[in-house]
Amino acid sequence: MKRNVAIIGGGQTYHAARRHDVNQVEMVNEAVRAALEDARMTIDEIDTVLVGNMEFFEGTHMTDCWLVDGTGAYGKPGLKITTGGTVGATIVCAGAHHVASGLFDTVLCIGFEKQEEGDTGAILSGVAHPLYGRSMAGAAVGYFAMMGTSYMAAWGATEIHSAMVAVKARQNARKNKYAHLKLDITVEDALNSRMLAYPIRMLDMCPASNGACAMILADEKTAKDRCKNPVWIRAMDTAHNEQFELDWRDVTTTKPIFSRTSAARVYKQLGVNKPADYFDVFEIYEPATWAEMVWYEDLELCGPGEGFKLIEEKRTEIDGPIPVNPSGGVLSTNCIGASAMLRVWEAALQIRGDAGEHQVPKEVRRALTTAYGGTNWTVLTALSRSLDD
Amino acid sequence: MSERVAIVGVAQTKFSPKRADVNYSEMAYEVIAQALGDTGLTIERDIDNAISCSHDIWDGQTISDIGITDVIGGHLRNEEKMAMDGSTAVYYAAIGILSGEFDCTLVLAHTKMSQTSRNIVNNTAFDPIYTRLLGLDFTSAAALQAARYMHARHITDRQIAKVVVKNLANALHNPVAHNKGRYTIEEVLAAPVVAAPLREMDIAPDTDGAVALIMASEEKAKRITPSPVWVLGLGTSYDAHYLGDRDLSECRALEQAAARAYRMAGITDPARDIDVIELGEEFSYQELLWLEGLGICPRGEAGRLIDSGFTAIDGDLPVNPSGGLLSGVPANVAGLNRVAEAALQLRGDAEGHQVHNPRIAVAQGHSGFCGQHQCVIVLGRE
Amino acid sequence: MEPEEPKQELINIPITVDVPYRFAAGTYMAKFLVELRDNGKFYGIKCPVCKRVQMPPRIVCAACHVKNTEWVELGPEGTLVGFTIMYLPLTDPTTGKPHEPPFSYGSVRLDGSDSVLDHFLNIEPKVEKIRVGMRVKAVLRPREQRIGDLSDILYFEPISRQ
Repeated sequence: MKRNVAIIGGGQTYHAARRHDVNQVEMVNEAVRAALEDARMTIDEIDTVLVGNMEFFEGTHMTDCWLVDGTGAYGKPGLKITTGGTVGATIVCAGAHHVASGLFDTVLCIGFEKQEEGDTGAILSGVAHPLYGRSMAGAAVGYFAMMGTSYMAAWGATEIHSAMVAVKARQNARKNKYAHLKLDITVEDALNSRMLAYPIRMLDMCPASNGACAMILADEKTAKDRCKNPVWIRAMDTAHNEQFELDWRDVTTTKPIFSRTSAARVYKQLGVNKPADYFDVFEIYEPATWAEMVWYEDLELCGPGEGFKLIEEKRTEIDGPIPVNPSGGVLSTNCIGASAMLRVWEAALQIRGDAGEHQVPKEVRRALTTAYGGTNWTVLTALSRSLDD
Repeated sequence: MSERVAIVGVAQTKFSPKRADVNYSEMAYEVIAQALGDTGLTIERDIDNAISCSHDIWDGQTISDIGITDVIGGHLRNEEKMAMDGSTAVYYAAIGILSGEFDCTLVLAHTKMSQTSRNIVNNTAFDPIYTRLLGLDFTSAAALQAARYMHARHITDRQIAKVVVKNLANALHNPVAHNKGRYTIEEVLAAPVVAAPLREMDIAPDTDGAVALIMASEEKAKRITPSPVWVLGLGTSYDAHYLGDRDLSECRALEQAAARAYRMAGITDPARDIDVIELGEEFSYQELLWLEGLGICPRGEAGRLIDSGFTAIDGDLPVNPSGGLLSGVPANVAGLNRVAEAALQLRGDAEGHQVHNPRIAVAQGHSGFCGQHQCVIVLGRE
Repeated sequence: MEPEEPKQELINIPITVDVPYRFAAGTYMAKFLVELRDNGKFYGIKCPVCKRVQMPPRIVCAACHVKNTEWVELGPEGTLVGFTIMYLPLTDPTTGKPHEPPFSYGSVRLDGSDSVLDHFLNIEPKVEKIRVGMRVKAVLRPREQRIGDLSDILYFEPISRQ
């Protein structure tokens, strides 16, 4: 990129299953105000506003147009991009492009979802081609269920490992005041929760949340002038995957796939040899427990088929050597259009040392985040505390 | 801009009321293959970014860029979907190249209006609490805007009908247009009223089609073609959502977007500096209103502008020599088609609807009802 | 600041958005559906570069960026690569109604194909009855009842000789 780009502020809503007290405009505005307050800025100091969500999940076409009073975009340049579940991270990339282009110094990035206002299951089943595979009505649950059966058959993991991921997420979420599912649960609780789609039980799956996240990006000069603790965007990479080949559920596949391809590109760009050592914390997009274990492998935090051992050995706990999702992750909070941005924002909070009770108990200089959406798409974002890291 | 961005390739389908022979992926591939073929570029060697433009609700597919991932080269690579008008896809593609992150971007817009109902789709763009239940769609909202504009600026039915006459006649020379013909003002005014004051012929018809552009950095562009079309300026802006919060006889968002684009391009006297305009007249009155927003004349003067022949294809400043949206361009594709037509004019490749030796062209597109979001792109030969 | 309990009475407005569509299958998918309907056969398409056999057939090989060319008959037997037993009555977007849970469905790789197809399994929805790797075959509607969409496949069922 032609200019360095920093995160100079951000904010999020208190995520919840019910937000009847606010409409979509008001809910988004909560995150926008929090971000402006965090950056000690006013909306007048924002050069452009970028918005992303899951198109039509709330039953409204062109939401960016309705939301102008909440986003602060009235009278400003701006746009809306959608890339499915990855969109929150895509908006951060778009923000970084805007700053790096030299045309804008400050960019407000917003991701949101008010899931209760639409039928998410039906719309997610609509991800399938209209004439091919849509009638199974499996939505995301069915897809990750097949990943689970494939994972267990291939590597010898059991439902207990899935339960361990479920517990880690919700116990971490209890330390995050913004998280949706703050559950004091045990492995037994997870194993006894209601079966949704074998082997996915209620506690193995993300919730449907309402919430928003907003972040402010700036160029190096503005960041250094205006912000005590800017967090720098060091690498971004997007990999989509073809329409009909959902390779992620066949966990033994050796084909080049989105997750591994994108990680390899980011690692090459930054000169990373041992990602588990190079990065101090990870915030990954895991809509279901099984996806977290596959992410460990695809990010090369362990070898193929060893993801379930990392959770068994408690290495990815908040105080472990490779903390993954100290925020509680997507398993605890999934306002889809915001979820991928929350990963980046939570990673930035860890680098700033501002994560509060879920701050990992070690120095955090570098963080890696992932996104997930579409037919296996991702956006990886690497952050650092200084431009020398 | 320290570094520049150019349009180096343009491809358009022939627009048609219904393309039952292809799904949207195959329709998109027609223009992608043509744009790559014309420029001699390949996805793996040359293209490092892709931006598509459409909407899930039009496509009937959740995350509808899934459907074009294969054909646009999105597999294991970058692709982003602009859920707005196609003009904003060009705006964002240019920003991506200026950022230094990308060198060569494939931009695609596609929509098959024939596969669903325009009124239902557009009704869902109104907020669900306050205005949607009134049953408004873009046509009924535009009728309110037309009535307000005509009243406030003393624009007549005949002046608006002249836009239809001009654009449908221009379209006769445009090989990709499907709605065209020689009509008189009287024939336009005799068309059935849809939402007063709008008549059938005032409304852009339902259309299927796709447009692709290839955009590149200055260095890359010069290696691809001897006649790159340069992006000289760009601007966007949002107006208020609620119609009651706007004076519909004005278009502040367009004035702001144009001011940003002109400042970047060094345009100080738009009527003199600009040689050709392609703008998004989804409804005929919008051509006049947008010309005021683009600063081609003072507010309220656009009626006299069309009376004078200033915007005719052989006038001082031809507007929509392609026939514009009235000649049949799909929603969402609209703005990318504006940019494509402006680029063809600057290259001298506009065939029968070529205007004389243009150096500076402006393309305008908009999203949302009554032009809530506006985008202006200034293009030049040098 | 935690959100306060609101005092104002709250109103939610129910709206059903009903959007009708008529999808063109396109030339590649149309051949697939017509062969299935008229001849009970599955057709995939082979990439001329990587030789990958893709189903459903599609215009471009996403990996090689070339037009797919060669039609290949597949199945009707195949291997189960993943499955689930669905306990949730999720809405089927093609009908607007849910299926009766529990029901099983899975990903089947038809013999000769590099792709998999998701479809219902005619197997008792019990974990011990279904396993990854089991051999299955497609069961179609009777010829005269087929309509040319994917519902012409009723389900996959285990091949009895196992």
